[in-house]
Amino acid sequence: MEQERKEEILSAIHHCVKCKLCSISSFHPNAEWLPLCPSGQFYGYQAFYAPGRMEIFREILDGEITEPSEGLLKSAYACTLCGACYERCKQITSMELRLPELFEEMRAELVKKGWALDVHKNIADKIKETRNAYGEKYEYKAKSTDGNADVLYYIGCTARYRVPEIADAMLQIFDKLGIKYQVMDEEWCCGSVLLRTGQVEAAKELMEHNIEEIKMSGAKTVVFTCPGCLMTFERNYPDMGVELLHSTQLLTRLGSMKVKKLGLEVAYHDPCHLGRDLGIYDEPRAVLSTVADIKKMKREREEAWCCGSGGGVKSAYDEFALWSAEERLKEAKEAGAAALVSACPFCKRNLKEAADKEGKGTEVYDIVELVNRSLEG
Amino acid sequence: MKMTRSLSKFVKELQTIVGEENATDDKAICASYSRDQHWHFVPAKNPAYIVRPGNKEEVRRVLTFANNEKIPVIPYSTGINVRGLTIPVHERSILLDLSRMNRIVEINPEMMTATVEPGVTFGMLLEKTKKYKLRPAFPDAPLTASVLANYYLRGIYQTSAVDGHDHTLSYEMVLPNGETIKTGSRSLSEMPYFRYGVGPDFTGVFCAHPGTCGVVTELTAKLYRLYDNRKEYFVGFDDAGTPRKIIYNLMHDELAASIRLVDNQSWLKGICGTFDYPYEKLPKFVLCVLVEGVDGIFEAKDKLVQEYIKESGGTVLEFPEEFKRTFEEESLGGAEKSCMVFGLRGNYHCIGLYGPLTLAAQYYEVHEKTALEVGIPQDHIHFYINPIYSFHGQLCYFELDIFYDGGDLGFGEKLRNYNEKQFQRLLDLGIYGWFRPYAGIIGPTADRIGYLAEVWKKFLRVLDPNEIMNRGKLF
Ligand SMILES: Cc1cc2nc3c(=O)[nH]c(=O)nc-3n(C[C@H](O)[C@H](O)[C@H](O)COP(=O)(O)OP(=O)(O)OC[C@H]3O[C@@H](n4cnc5c(N)ncnc54)[C@H](O)[C@@H]3O)c2cc1C
Ligand code: SF4
Ligand code: SF4
Repeated sequence: MEQERKEEILSAIHHCVKCKLCSISSFHPNAEWLPLCPSGQFYGYQAFYAPGRMEIFREILDGEITEPSEGLLKSAYACTLCGACYERCKQITSMELRLPELFEEMRAELVKKGWALDVHKNIADKIKETRNAYGEKYEYKAKSTDGNADVLYYIGCTARYRVPEIADAMLQIFDKLGIKYQVMDEEWCCGSVLLRTGQVEAAKELMEHNIEEIKMSGAKTVVFTCPGCLMTFERNYPDMGVELLHSTQLLTRLGSMKVKKLGLEVAYHDPCHLGRDLGIYDEPRAVLSTVADIKKMKREREEAWCCGSGGGVKSAYDEFALWSAEERLKEAKEAGAAALVSACPFCKRNLKEAADKEGKGTEVYDIVELVNRSLEG
Repeated sequence: MKMTRSLSKFVKELQTIVGEENATDDKAICASYSRDQHWHFVPAKNPAYIVRPGNKEEVRRVLTFANNEKIPVIPYSTGINVRGLTIPVHERSILLDLSRMNRIVEINPEMMTATVEPGVTFGMLLEKTKKYKLRPAFPDAPLTASVLANYYLRGIYQTSAVDGHDHTLSYEMVLPNGETIKTGSRSLSEMPYFRYGVGPDFTGVFCAHPGTCGVVTELTAKLYRLYDNRKEYFVGFDDAGTPRKIIYNLMHDELAASIRLVDNQSWLKGICGTFDYPYEKLPKFVLCVLVEGVDGIFEAKDKLVQEYIKESGGTVLEFPEEFKRTFEEESLGGAEKSCMVFGLRGNYHCIGLYGPLTLAAQYYEVHEKTALEVGIPQDHIHFYINPIYSFHGQLCYFELDIFYDGGDLGFGEKLRNYNEKQFQRLLDLGIYGWFRPYAGIIGPTADRIGYLAEVWKKFLRVLDPNEIMNRGKLF
């Protein structure tokens, strides 16, 4: 790491005063104790809260930690990079670096030293071989309706291979609304999972390919149902001169659609990348409210509890990921919701798995599924 | 990556007591406990083991084991102290993280008490007491801090003007030899509600020890009423001396729940809950007053408060409603915004002391003088006064603050110079006592307290002959 960057990081770490307010959501005015940091809450040791994790990073940068240990890897990788800590901290102190980015850089340092998790290295290998994060060899079947359309739908690995109902719904919505679209002939993983797990170098080839394909497509707008992909394009890709939109932004922009209410009482779960990273809180709610009645949960928007699957956690620490999701399902139930709705394939997959495991009947959807269901064809 | 590692004999022993998940000597996990905000004075050091007991019996077994093996032990409840009190001095230290023990054992609305374990935070406690219209006394420490550790250490509270600063009634403490002692009425009965059980004030004798006597596993504390009637006033003054008269009057007549004289650039921002206000245009000092009470008494108190404000020589400041609400929430609902002071420049240093209101202006003068002498810029120098009920001796807490950039390594040297001069100057000027004991402050003070220092050391030796309990944090 360059000296200047190292000093910037150390300075940010020195500014953490260990108040741990980042571990709970705003207390006033309701005086409710609501934990906010999934990793700290699950594992308990200080190493799993932002202030403790920063001290570990400091020791790595100062050369005091010279060997990998189980605790080191767990502390570094069992964090969903949800950013809840940062949202709280910035209200309080002058922390100048976003904490999730700081933790990503911590992982990149570990990778440089050869201390990546095997499971994450396997993902990188799979991507190298198949260009998708799940190592699937088959193609998700989708065809452009117009090879010159202004809109390109970037589907993403999770919607293609693990929760295809989201991609299906989005494609049907395009059709029902008469929007012509392209999909990429060769859509490669956006690189998010590699970047989030510190495998920065391995992501470069993917990014180059996708940039080239998108440029060649001539599309003016790229639409995403996956906030992780969208955030990666926004943050890590160079400006391609195209507009990047989340599905809910597109749907809001279209204005009134011919939808009817489905008679469902739902809670809306803010995906971390969509909300805290991209500041998109209102559009999903606006779209969802046209098809369902939204019940408010206690932790929402900037202070939403993470579903537990981000940052490479789902692949490495599934027990923790599912526990986090169960906590969220409980909250939705407490709010009186029969279904928990998100706007992210990653959230849906983890929340659904937890709901199925629990077997207590909370339904889990993505917004586009409900919109598609209620749209008159 | 395969991690193969052989556990040391000690960790295996500790794991048999608290479970495999709850004891470790993993270097990275230990590193996460290596530093607090006071690192310019207490440098980073890793504990050798982290142990997270789940109940009193486990605490007792860990202490007995550590005592037999002569391994230093650092009790840690939530780790939010600002004096390096849980940073190891010695090699091979066990950091005893008590945060898993977070049961609220009892809230007794009739007795107006709460009994808690070490991991219970101020936030957790208020969540449960508010339904009885009761609250704990809140320090300015973030509401993520341990109630037990804070009261046991004895602190300063937002509502000191009405609640005083002793909220502890009784507690249970495990000693290094594995014996448990109970203080106050707890020693005689199942009723832990009275501080003075048998003979001397044992509750007080062990209090304010930074983990150097034993481990407190349960503590019963006072709760206070939450009133519906509340009103806030902010009065501006150009100097620290003029508000003395109104502080005296308000305290003498026991009129306010909270009285804080702060300067316009530091704690006031936390009290108002925002950095975004032209504070620099306000008078240099602002007196924040909160009045509360039952119908009838509230109105009478409020009338008197208004009269005292009129004759105070200060200017009543018209603040937005949300500032008033924040002041109220911070005082009666737990401190959430006080940590904003760290955001001013990135870190803070303070000397906290008890003394009479009569010396307010001198304390401020000497604070400014010493800070400037050692090269601390004027705009880093801050101050606040918090009077304490009951007002005998015109008892006040004074905080001599310096807000600085924590990333500026050179500033640490200035602060150390400041401390060295300032401790002596304050002792020469006359103080009642330091806020809390910690190594940096006990050193220069021990000479001044004569034979008491010897008695204190002997007392600790009797309790802890193997010197395992957080030694180095006092003497
Ligand atoms: C912004 C800010 C403002 C603050 N303002 C105030 C204030 O106004 N008033 C105030 O009182 N404090 C204040 N503090 C100081 C401090 O944070 C608190 O006093 C805090 O309660 C002590 O930290 P803790 O409870 O986390 O205890 P820890 O940090 O866990 O421990 C502190 C000390 O107590 C010992 N200890 C902990 N638990 C036990 C136990 N169970 N048995 C025996 N010994 C134990 C430890 O060994 C250590 O020496 C402030 C702190 C901050 C960050
Ligand atoms: S809120 Fe910020 S300063 Fe406080 S502990 Fe968390 S990261 Fe550190
Ligand atoms: S990013 Fe999320 S999981 Fe990670 S430390 Fe912050 S709050 Fe905890």
